Amino acid sequence: MKQNRIGQIFLLAASLGALLTTSCTTKVAAADTNNNYDVPGMKPGIHLVSPLPAGDWTLATGDYANTRFSPLNKINTENVKNLHLIASHNDGIPHGFEGGPLFVNNTLYMIEPFPNDLVAFGFDKVGISKKWFYSPNPSNRAVGIACCDVVNRGGTYAGGKIVYNILDDYTVAVDANTGREIWRTKVGDPNLGETETMAPQIVKNIVFVGISGGELGVRGRLTALDLQSGKILWRAYNTGPDSDCLIGPDFKPFYKKDQGQNLGVSTWGPDQWKRGGAPVWGWISYDPGLNLIYYGTGNTGPWDEDERPGDNKWAITIWARDATTGQAKWAWQALPHAGWDYDQVAENVLFDMEWQGRMRKVLINTGKAGYAVLMDRETGELLSAEPFQPVTWSTGYDLKTGLPNMVANLETHRGKMITGICPSNVGAKNYEPDAFSPRTGLLYIPARNICMDKEDTPVNYIAGTPYVGAKVLNIKGPGGYQGELVAWDVAHAKKLWGIKEADLGLNSGVLATAGDIVFYGTMDNYFRAVDARDGKLLWETKLGSGLVSDPMTFLGPDGKQYIAVYAGIGGALGSVAFKSISEQDPYAALGAAAAEANIKNKTGPGGALYVFGY
Amino acid sequence: MSSVTSPLVAFATALALSLMGCDQQPLEVAPAGAASATETAVGPIPGSGQPLPVRSNPYAGNPTAANEGYQFFSWYNCSGCHGVHGGGGMGPSLRDPVWIYGGSPDQVFASISEGRSNGMPSWGTKIPEQQIWKIVAYIKTINTPSEIDPPTMPLATQQAHEASGNPPASPPPAPQP
Repeated sequence: MKQNRIGQIFLLAASLGALLTTSCTTKVAAADTNNNYDVPGMKPGIHLVSPLPAGDWTLATGDYANTRFSPLNKINTENVKNLHLIASHNDGIPHGFEGGPLFVNNTLYMIEPFPNDLVAFGFDKVGISKKWFYSPNPSNRAVGIACCDVVNRGGTYAGGKIVYNILDDYTVAVDANTGREIWRTKVGDPNLGETETMAPQIVKNIVFVGISGGELGVRGRLTALDLQSGKILWRAYNTGPDSDCLIGPDFKPFYKKDQGQNLGVSTWGPDQWKRGGAPVWGWISYDPGLNLIYYGTGNTGPWDEDERPGDNKWAITIWARDATTGQAKWAWQALPHAGWDYDQVAENVLFDMEWQGRMRKVLINTGKAGYAVLMDRETGELLSAEPFQPVTWSTGYDLKTGLPNMVANLETHRGKMITGICPSNVGAKNYEPDAFSPRTGLLYIPARNICMDKEDTPVNYIAGTPYVGAKVLNIKGPGGYQGELVAWDVAHAKKLWGIKEADLGLNSGVLATAGDIVFYGTMDNYFRAVDARDGKLLWETKLGSGLVSDPMTFLGPDGKQYIAVYAGIGGALGSVAFKSISEQDPYAALGAAAAEANIKNKTGPGGALYVFGY
Repeated sequence: MSSVTSPLVAFATALALSLMGCDQQPLEVAPAGAASATETAVGPIPGSGQPLPVRSNPYAGNPTAANEGYQFFSWYNCSGCHGVHGGGGMGPSLRDPVWIYGGSPDQVFASISEGRSNGMPSWGTKIPEQQIWKIVAYIKTINTPSEIDPPTMPLATQQAHEASGNPPASPPPAPQP
């Protein structure tokens, strides 16, 4: 009872704080350190930079800074053991349920994998009841060109609309009250191998969407749409001339290697930039103080390295762009040329932090390549880069040049299988987002320890078909485990503790709360709550399918805190559980089948929403 | 939603029932001698008409053609979707006994040539017929003793798997022809 009252007072204070800060944005921006979004109990030397989700959960990313930290603390380390199922909804789609639901005005919104229905549930004391559903009816054409299952990573609420992407390359805005479609805009073309799987981000009146298809020779880009009309405002490409990349006078990359004109053309063979991949299918962060958005680009196409000499900019890159005009502020290519499929699309988690005695505006990114990369988000300077899982392709980063120190003989070519490349093409971490708790200063990373053997093969570009050119086998990494929830001490750039999964990689996003609990799921159906400070298991339950989704939390109309999550195996790794992937062939599912050979014995397809209360 | 469909369903059911009540001659399906409008059938053929003539693969059992078909399987990026050894990925496995649109050589030919609705391209517009038959010849060797390039794991990879304590499930033996 006491706990609840304190929680309510705290929430009230947090909401008031949020209200006050939104009304004085310019003041915040001018301040050297921004502590207006801070919550009680934060670790000294850390400040939050965007408002946290209070009772509702309106963004796919939780907050603009992508911390996925909730200030709710009614569910805490004492009472989490009482969590029990409040409601569930089985929708029968046997594909990967990535992302998570939204909660706005006592309504829970679920976005399904293809065919991408949006379902609204009223939330009341007895549980959930279906209010309406919206069917965008995407074309089946898009199904066969989705590289890694027909997933969707969620939607975002703004101005009375739920905005999300559908697989056949439309962005739609749906009336959050009625389920009526308000606008629908074509943002890509399945005939060119393009699909839409990512969750849009919305800043002020602009919707940002990327594009998927790094395995199909797409030309990666970010598209900005007007929230009210759906009209396309501008596009920023990841390859091609500077004018296409919205690189202008404001562009000031920190490192020399990223400076120069039209690098999006000159770092490729003739015309190869037109099909060079570099898709945008991860998460977008926003810093309201700097008015900059941050996002990363995916792998270079094709995986066959012999096909495309050069650095191949701007694949495997982190961008900082003006959130209004899209003009590039800086870019950092994390890895030139490589063919290991190391997308750099992971979420950039933003906060301010004391680093080596000085307050810095930082971002941290845990990419497929296996490094936890800490950067100054104003300048693009690399502050530290340390591996969070076994890495063999490099011995670390040179902070002076911004380049990795490469290990010889692990680059791949045609006709020879190269062994022992760690991480594998599925990455040390994939789409599944980290959470950061400002109370512990820890970043919780849902990681994989999987290595690979890779051989390049000649490849043809045929629009709308795969553009890969590689044989790949995934192998469990050293140390006898495949998955690990890593608690990463950001200030010291090292792992504090980890919870290992022996047989399967981790593929679920993480939620951290002010109750000092970290929630995450496993591909063998467990949904877990662990102590944010030491990783002690506090509660777990087994759901109907594997978890490749992102848990979230909200306050119900009764003032109680709830936790919601999807179960539904699928995605790049999880699709090995499908009957359509042969258990005889370790090369199946782009090599993932070799590492996840046991998955069919541990889980099976099924898509459902679960809500837990205490 | 249901309030709209229910009366419709009820109406359709009533109509069907009333039609059944009529004393009608049985509808003649595919009258004898009539030319068929389809070359291959995916679904069952209604009525008791003649079975469609089945086109046979001119390269059936021809290992040279199957080998060429394997090259085409890679050349036309079939391998990108169905896997370099047909185990599946973006597209379904070709190694299992499940054939959504039929697994006989002429049905596989039709699927490649005409395309299928969940993203299988209509290759008949791009690949010459003889090459498609060679691809079919390769596909029909999959999971048989005469499979061109079966999915074996390089020794180094196998050893790495064993050292990791997580050996991959060993493939079941290929069925005898």
